[in-house]
Amino acid sequence: MKISFLLHNAYGIGGTITTTFNLAQALAERHEVEIVSVLRHREHPNFALDPRVSLRPLVDLRHEKEHPLHLRAAKVFPVAEYRYRQYSELTDRRIGECLAATDADVVIGTRPGLNVHLALQGPEHVVRVGQEHLTLDNHPPRLRTTLRRAYRRLDVLTTVTEADAAAYRRKMRLPGVRVEALPNSVPDPVLPAADGTAKVVVAAGRLVPVKRYDLLIEAFAPVAAAHPDWQLRIYGKGEEQTRLRQLIQRLGLSDHALLMGAAAPMEAEWVKGSIAACASNFEPFGMTIVEAMRCGLPVVSTDCPYGPGEIIEDGVDGRLVPVGDPGALGAALLDLVRDDERRRRMGRTAMANARRFAPVPVVEQAERLIDEARSARGTGRPVAPPEGGRIQRALVSQGFAARDAAYAAASGALRTVRRGRR
Amino acid sequence: MNTRPDTKPDTTRGTHLRVDCTADADGRIVFALPPTAADNGGSPRLLLRLRPKKGQPEKTVHPLDLEPAHDGRLLAVLERRPALAEGRWDVYLLPEPDAPRQRLRPGLRDLRALVDGHTRDRPAPVAVRVPYVTKDGYLAVRAWLRTAHAEVEGIDVTDRSMTVRARLHGTPLAEGAAVRLRLRGGDGTVRMVEPRGEGDGRAFSFVVDYADLVGDGGTRDRVWDLSVQASPGAGATPIRIGRLLDDVADRKEVFVYPAAVVGGGVVRPYFTVDNDLSVEVK
Repeated sequence: MKISFLLHNAYGIGGTITTTFNLAQALAERHEVEIVSVLRHREHPNFALDPRVSLRPLVDLRHEKEHPLHLRAAKVFPVAEYRYRQYSELTDRRIGECLAATDADVVIGTRPGLNVHLALQGPEHVVRVGQEHLTLDNHPPRLRTTLRRAYRRLDVLTTVTEADAAAYRRKMRLPGVRVEALPNSVPDPVLPAADGTAKVVVAAGRLVPVKRYDLLIEAFAPVAAAHPDWQLRIYGKGEEQTRLRQLIQRLGLSDHALLMGAAAPMEAEWVKGSIAACASNFEPFGMTIVEAMRCGLPVVSTDCPYGPGEIIEDGVDGRLVPVGDPGALGAALLDLVRDDERRRRMGRTAMANARRFAPVPVVEQAERLIDEARSARGTGRPVAPPEGGRIQRALVSQGFAARDAAYAAASGALRTVRRGRR
Repeated sequence: MNTRPDTKPDTTRGTHLRVDCTADADGRIVFALPPTAADNGGSPRLLLRLRPKKGQPEKTVHPLDLEPAHDGRLLAVLERRPALAEGRWDVYLLPEPDAPRQRLRPGLRDLRALVDGHTRDRPAPVAVRVPYVTKDGYLAVRAWLRTAHAEVEGIDVTDRSMTVRARLHGTPLAEGAAVRLRLRGGDGTVRMVEPRGEGDGRAFSFVVDYADLVGDGGTRDRVWDLSVQASPGAGATPIRIGRLLDDVADRKEVFVYPAAVVGGGVVRPYFTVDNDLSVEVK
C-alpha cells in the first residue's frame, strides 16, 4: 500500500512535524510512504527522516517566493485557516496537481486547510484521511463552518484526543466519515529511565501564557520552603521569560525555580528529574506529559482540556489537579516530594502506562483505520459504523452549525463596520 | 504541543556527526559515536582541545582512543585522571591519523549523575567537568581545576544585604578564616567579612552589607569578586567562591538574583561566565 502525507512544512520545527515524521517512519516498516511538504525553506529538515520515507516539496520558497502566482491569494485553501497567509494560488495549484496525479492508495492531511484540499481534490480512488492536531472548540466559527462542509467528503477524521473526537461527532454532522482519536506517538526513550531519586521537578514547553508557568512557580514556593533541597527546572523559551524571571525573584526562588532555556532533545533533561509538572490552561494533546512518563516520571498536571485527563490516571501514574489552582498544584507536588516510595511506584507505572503512546501501538491503530476505510470503500459501504440516535445527533449538530454560521456572519459584519469607521 | 525535536538527531545527512556522552559522579565521561562515524579498519580517535584565547595558538590537546562496543557504537573514555586544565575543551573526531579533524555536534548528554554533585565533599585539587553545548551548537566540555573550592549553596537577598551559604571543598575552614571582596580592575581595594562556620569545618555563611560596596559615592560601574581565605595569615591563598558542582555549565542566566537599590547604586549578586560569584554595582 502507498501512503502519502500532506504536510504544511516538513522543514520547520513543531509538534505536528515531529508526530507526522514518527508516524510516517513507523508506517514505512510495511508500506511505501512519502511526505509531501507544501512549503520548503531550507535544504534539510530539522529532524532526520528515515531514508525509507521519501520527501517531496511542492513550493520551494528559496526560489519561488516571488513567483507571480505565489503573490496572489489562495482560493482553495480556506481563508479562515490559521496559515492562510502562507498559502497562495501557487500552493492551490501545486497541491491540486499533486492530488490529481497521486498514485497513493491513502492520502493523509495534517492540518485543517490541507484536509480541505484533500476533501475537495482527492481523487475518487484515494482513501482520504484528515488529521486534526488542534481542537474543534478552539477553531474560529468561520473555520468550523468551512470544515463542516468539506469534512463530509473525508473517509476518516482523526483527532489527538477522545474528547475532541467526541466534539466532532456531536457538533459536526459527518455522515459516512469515521471520526476516531489517534494519539500522537513518542519514540522509545534511548536513555535509562529516571530512578525517582533526583530532587528535581521538570517542566518543558514554550514560555507562553497558556502554559501557566507563573502558576507552577507560585505552586512550587511552598515546596521549596519545606524542602529547600528540591529544584524546579523549566525548559523552554518565549515571551513570558522576563515576567517569570521577575516572579521568581519576587518569591525569593532564585536558587529553587530555574529557567533553563530551550533544550533539545529533552530526554536527557527529563531523566534528571523525578517528577514532571504541567500547569497549562489548555493542551490539545500534551506531548511533554507523554515524553516525561515514557522516561519514568509521574506527572502532576492540571486537568485541562483536552489531553492530560486522557493520558494521566489520577493517583496511579500521576496526579490531575483543577485548572488555575496553585494550592492544589502545590499540594500534589508536595505529596510526591514527601513520599519517595509512592513517587517511584507512580514513575514506574507511568512508564508502563505510557507505552500505549509508543510508535508501535499507534501505528497499528492507524493501519487498522486505513484498512477498514479501504475495505469500506471497496464494498461501497459508508466508513462510519452504523449507530443509533442519528436523527437526534443530526439535530444537535445542525444547531451548532447554525450558531457557527451566525458567529461567522456576525464577525464578518463587525469587520465591515470597523473597516467603514476607519 | 511539543516544540522540541524528539525524533532522532540527524547523523546521516548533516555535515556534522553527533556524539552522545554520559558523565559519572566522579568526573569520568564516556563519549559514544554511531558505528558509521568511522570507516571499517580505520583507527579513529576523539580529540579534546583546550580552546585558546582569541588570536592565540592552540597548545593543549587530549586525544582519546575510540573502541567499538558490543552494540557497534564507538566509545571513548575520558578517565577521572589526569585532570583537565581549566577552560573550555572542544570535541573533535579524528577519523584517521592524518585526516582533517571534524567538530562534533551533541547527541544525548546524560548528566544526571552531576545534578547533586554539591552533596559530595571533594578532595584537593577540585576538578570539575561538565559537557555542554556551545552557542554555535557543538559539543564541548567545561573544566574547572582548583586547589580548593568554595561552593555556593544558596543566596538570600534583602533590600540592603545578602546572606551567602557556602561549603568548602579540598580544604577545611580554619579559625580566623575571612571572606574577601575584591574590586575588579581597581587598585586592590578589598572589603573583608567574617564568615560564620557551621561547625563541621566545611560549611559557612556570611553577610555582605551592600552599603559597604557602594561606599564612596563613586559613579562608575564596579564589580566585586568574592573569595574566602580558609585560614588566617598573609600567605593564605584566596579561594574563589562560586557554584560549579552540578550539571549547569553556564549559570549566569539560570540563577538570577534580585537587585537592591542602595545609596544611589543598584546592587546585585550574580554568577560570572565562569560560574564564580561576584557582586555588581551599577
